[in-house]
Amino acid sequence: MIRRHSRSAMFMHWFNAICWIFLLFSGFALLAGEMQPVGQWWRNLWVGIFGDRGLLVAHLAVGTIWVAVYVLYILLFCRREVLPFLREVTTFHMKSDIEWCMKKGLWLVVGPKRTMKMGIDPTLPPQGFYNAGQRMVAVIAVIASVGLAVTGVVMGFFSGNVDYAVSETVLQWCIFIHFCCAGIMAIFLPVHIYMAALAPGEGPALRSMFTGFVPEHHAEHHNPLWYASLKKNS
Amino acid sequence: MARYVMVIDSEKCMNCKACIIACQQRNHVPYGISRNWVHETDSDSSPCGSKFQPGACMHCDDPSCVRACPTGATWKAADGTVEIDRSRCIGCGSCIEACPYHARFRHPVTGTADKCDYCHGSTPGQTPACVAVCPVHCRIFGDADDPSSEVAKVLASRKAVHIIPVGSGAKPTLTYLDTTTPAELPAGNTVSHPVDTMRPLAKGVTWVGGLVLAALTGTFVRQLVKSSEKEDEEIAAEKKAASSADKHEKEDNA
Ligand code: HEM
Repeated sequence: MIRRHSRSAMFMHWFNAICWIFLLFSGFALLAGEMQPVGQWWRNLWVGIFGDRGLLVAHLAVGTIWVAVYVLYILLFCRREVLPFLREVTTFHMKSDIEWCMKKGLWLVVGPKRTMKMGIDPTLPPQGFYNAGQRMVAVIAVIASVGLAVTGVVMGFFSGNVDYAVSETVLQWCIFIHFCCAGIMAIFLPVHIYMAALAPGEGPALRSMFTGFVPEHHAEHHNPLWYASLKKNS
Repeated sequence: MARYVMVIDSEKCMNCKACIIACQQRNHVPYGISRNWVHETDSDSSPCGSKFQPGACMHCDDPSCVRACPTGATWKAADGTVEIDRSRCIGCGSCIEACPYHARFRHPVTGTADKCDYCHGSTPGQTPACVAVCPVHCRIFGDADDPSSEVAKVLASRKAVHIIPVGSGAKPTLTYLDTTTPAELPAGNTVSHPVDTMRPLAKGVTWVGGLVLAALTGTFVRQLVKSSEKEDEEIAAEKKAASSADKHEKEDNA
């Protein structure tokens, strides 16, 4: 077995996942009319559980906790985990990454056999610690999270605040950016959850998010470049 | 269900502004701002040289303020009132920007949007303060669907006039009688751009998100039926077959 995730990273991932899903679901339930992307039933469901004011308060409370814990984590683990993670997920190899994404897409949608019939070799280019799809989702998640956190804090603090007022135009653009970030993640999150938890062959990676370890053969097969660099360094 | 309408015979108005003060007091509107107003227009045909036009929230049909609200904190109620629920209002100001009559403002104490609610909030079931106080009885308020009400009678017997800000397409329900000055209002904004752009985007999220969920469900079902190991084996076998076919071809050519 090889260590893949530290305890702190695992804790942050699951803390983040729970907060994110709650915030996304409750946040969408705050929207009304034509701005409601799921449907009126979604709003009724959540308002039924939390009440009108309660839903807003719950969304703000969880959002505040999420931001506070993240700020702490980033301060404490900046050098050890945050920066290396950001470096890892922002290292792109354009040609191979695009090839990976296209082939993985074909694999998932039409299947490898038909891909071969189309005259395309379905073998995926070798990947490092994270594959191209994971890196792409990670970058989107980081950007969306920062956008949500900043606009969320501005709105949470200034909305309805009569002592420290900010221009209403600023608040309106904050709502807009907050919504865009959430909307983008709402599209990518199901992909991430599917690829991480439901797709066959990903069992060891999913277990690694709880135990911290992956079997050697799994890393060798899924992350050959990472595996090779581990071998070289040890 | 009642259909509340405010009717104003503005020709009777003498600009005493009792309606404004009564409203401020009944609804605890802080000093210096008000939910209603009296427009003054110079006029030679008036003995005092001016015409007066009292007004407030027009309780429009299909209101632009309601369309601009991202949280559903304001809505057109079944009884014709455009209502605000302060507990749902996040004070973003979109509705204030989207009202072509400038009938809304940000309440300096609550931080939320505020406007005329026919005094429903402060004194439910009572005659609005502005109507009760008017010394010349130029305001009539009531259920326009109840034929015995004064509002229904006056609407049936006299000409209804609506004032609309130029180009706004507003559908006010506040009605003036026979004639009023000014006959229209200067152009006013009916959208708040950031929030207005969210509407098509929300459609996009619905459709793209739905498509992604459907595609993932399909993929999941497909992979339930066929394990990836089996697929790997099939690919290996097919690759082998292809390369051996390649060889045969080469041998044939030779
Ligand atoms: C039930 C929900 C979720 C499950 C089952 C899940 C599962 C996983 C797993 C197993 C990994 C590790 C992949 C590996 O080691 O190769 C991972 C990584 C990651 N997860 Fe999640 N996750 C969930 C929700 C979320 C949410 C809500 C977010 C953020 C908004 C998120 C962001 C990430 C990021 C940034 C990574 C690292 C790189 C990547 O795989 O993109 N996850 N997740």
